Amino acid sequence: MGLCDGRIAFVTGGSRGLGRAICLNLAREGARVAFNYKANDADAAETVALVEAAGGKASAHKVSVLDRAGLVALAKALDAEHGKVDILVNNAGYGQVVPLALMEESDWDDMLDTHVKGAFLTTQAFLRVMVRERYGRIINVGSLAGVKMMQAPVHYATAKAALKGFTESLAKEIGRYGITVNCVAPGILDQGVSDHLPPARKEEYVRHCALRRIGTLDEAASVISFIASQRASYTNGATIVVDGAV
Amino acid sequence: MDCTSCDTIPPRADRPHTFFAHEQDHCPVCAVAIEARAVLRDGKVVHLLRCPACGPQEKLVSDDAAAWVQAFLARGKVPDGLVGDHLFKHTTSTCPKCLDLVTAQVVIRKGKVYFLKDCGKCGPSEALVSEDANYYVKAYAFARAGTQPLKFRTEAEHGCPTDCGTCDDHEQHTCLPIVEVTDHCNLECPICIVDNKYSKHMEPATFQKIVDGLVDAEGICETIALSGGEPTSHPQILELLKIANRPEIGRVVLITNGIRLGKDRAFAQALKDMGVYVGLQLDGFTAEVHTQIRGRDLVKEKDAALAILAELDIPTQLIFVATRGVNDHQIGQVVELFLSGAHFLSLNFQPVAYTGHGGGTFVHDPLDRLTIPGVIRHIDEQTGGKVGYTDFFPLPCSHPQCVSLTYLLRLEDGSSVPFARFVDFEKHATLLRSSATLPATPEVEDALAEVIHDVFARQDEIPQGPEILKALRRSLDEMFPKKPLSSREAFRVSERQSKSIFLHHYMDRHDFDLERLRKCCHHYPQIDGKIMPACGFNMFHRGAAQGPDTPRAKFGRAPFSLPVIQ
Repeated sequence: MGLCDGRIAFVTGGSRGLGRAICLNLAREGARVAFNYKANDADAAETVALVEAAGGKASAHKVSVLDRAGLVALAKALDAEHGKVDILVNNAGYGQVVPLALMEESDWDDMLDTHVKGAFLTTQAFLRVMVRERYGRIINVGSLAGVKMMQAPVHYATAKAALKGFTESLAKEIGRYGITVNCVAPGILDQGVSDHLPPARKEEYVRHCALRRIGTLDEAASVISFIASQRASYTNGATIVVDGAV
Repeated sequence: MDCTSCDTIPPRADRPHTFFAHEQDHCPVCAVAIEARAVLRDGKVVHLLRCPACGPQEKLVSDDAAAWVQAFLARGKVPDGLVGDHLFKHTTSTCPKCLDLVTAQVVIRKGKVYFLKDCGKCGPSEALVSEDANYYVKAYAFARAGTQPLKFRTEAEHGCPTDCGTCDDHEQHTCLPIVEVTDHCNLECPICIVDNKYSKHMEPATFQKIVDGLVDAEGICETIALSGGEPTSHPQILELLKIANRPEIGRVVLITNGIRLGKDRAFAQALKDMGVYVGLQLDGFTAEVHTQIRGRDLVKEKDAALAILAELDIPTQLIFVATRGVNDHQIGQVVELFLSGAHFLSLNFQPVAYTGHGGGTFVHDPLDRLTIPGVIRHIDEQTGGKVGYTDFFPLPCSHPQCVSLTYLLRLEDGSSVPFARFVDFEKHATLLRSSATLPATPEVEDALAEVIHDVFARQDEIPQGPEILKALRRSLDEMFPKKPLSSREAFRVSERQSKSIFLHHYMDRHDFDLERLRKCCHHYPQIDGKIMPACGFNMFHRGAAQGPDTPRAKFGRAPFSLPVIQ
């Protein structure tokens, strides 16, 4: 019996990296998973295949997190198909190593748009169903860089810190409907946005980490599945750091 | 500065409670039959009794208030196949001939509600009370706890209505004080509810004391209304309005027939400059209607008043006294007019009450009259459902049989949509208030947040859902602009976001219900400092319940006849 049996989950940016791990983990815990992706059809198909190979069910939807109308239509379609959407994971994002001195305005806008505006638009599209159902689990994927002072690109840290604020404010606003909103803030993981980090940065992280290693995608995804489950019914507005103790 | 909280009434042992209804009972000490106040308290039902011999008593009626209320409402269901009257409950009314208090059986007959009375002196009588028994019975579910004023003016000694003023047994504070500032008038209305003696204009100093007394008793008054007579005939009316225009009072309303407004532009401009609201009597649109209701053709005067109110954008309430067979065919027309102007904030229908100098002798049939459901039905039919029967709800603030209302949200295209089409008022009764605006209390904010999310979630199911969301967003933008508003500006902006239609049925000797008077919140402040619930004052004190020279009750106090409050 899984933590999320019978639940319908939607994950943004589910075609690869942490998003794919979240889809797999939720599916293993019994959730029916839908995810969106921006461009790479092959990656999306691979995620679906991996979920199905694990005995789960998944569907991939090519729509940007910045496409408001597309997201609304997708939310309606999933609602029509399943009668509800219980879990939303705002995961879509990316890393970019660039110092402020070299940062273009477009770098800043793209980073903030994808992480923050994308979470806003996706949440607004799916919240309608959750309010109606008086139930929901919204998990925003933050970062240790948005919680602690550490060496990270300024626009990335800003975007992840914004998601923490988004989480706390939204939790207050919609808690009355039985909807929890939490933020899971991983440290450096073995794949995903950390892929492009310079080796020295990873080594420094490990030196300061109590567990003396970087984390895995599945370790972060497992926490997300737990927060998405009924077991975490009283966890709300929280930012759960998954960093091995840095 | 005096501490207002140190000089207030200490909480009574029987409160807080929700006054629900009057019921027949007996004194638990001497067993004499007396009428009890059934109140809901701490999940239980208690009868509060005031025995003339034994004093105040309490009797536990039920440990389960919710079940008791359901059983009460179930009493309103007429058994299948029943021929004749179905007894719903009892209350205390008045004999229409001698005005003595008498027990009334509240019965349901062919879908309507009647009082059956039997006066020991004058014999039996019947009166139509509601044209829709379903509405009448369900209205009780809207009963909500009243608010206690900071001060009562009298102590309960003999019971309602004898101790009026208001006494500490009264179940609601003063929501709307109506100060009759003169007994002069420039009309002789065949349906006049008061009894003008053409003897006095209230002195500004006296009015000042009344206003001070109101603020003393209430702390803050959302509205104060100046009435008469015709208040614009008062030579110092602007001075009185200035006195009323103070920070503790949110809105000053001048109730007028509009004759002076249409002729005296400077006067209208002065009202505009002072921020005064106008309550314009407008009972119809034809000479025939005006003549029957107001005594002469007023079409031109009303048109002139409406024109200046529109031109100066003076916030306006329209007041329509609805009379069976006289002007009920023009109800839809006044609704359309009301919806057409942004300066019209509210529309108040008053099914005529057959009391007062004119109303007391107006030809009528107490078994065939307009009541609140009848007026709502006319609104529905004559507006083609634009404002519908199910858009209205009983107002819990007063007794739920006294007032019905609907709010209308202003959409971007200038049209309006009744709140009831997207708000569950049975769930959000806190949004039903005796006011054109909603205060920013935590309860109201909470309810509004729920409403917004509910429309957000069901926007595809609710007719005009996206337009409603846009209008709600516009309201937020206007009420909370980037440059903060003063409290008065915010008040003015917020009241333009929606409109309200009220129906208030004042009582007369036929349908008088002591239970309703118990929770009356429209009060006439008097020059001796008393604050008199309106229908009790009209029935027992004014001396015109059956027309001119009606004998007053023994405890009656005529207006303007008492020592001025010191």
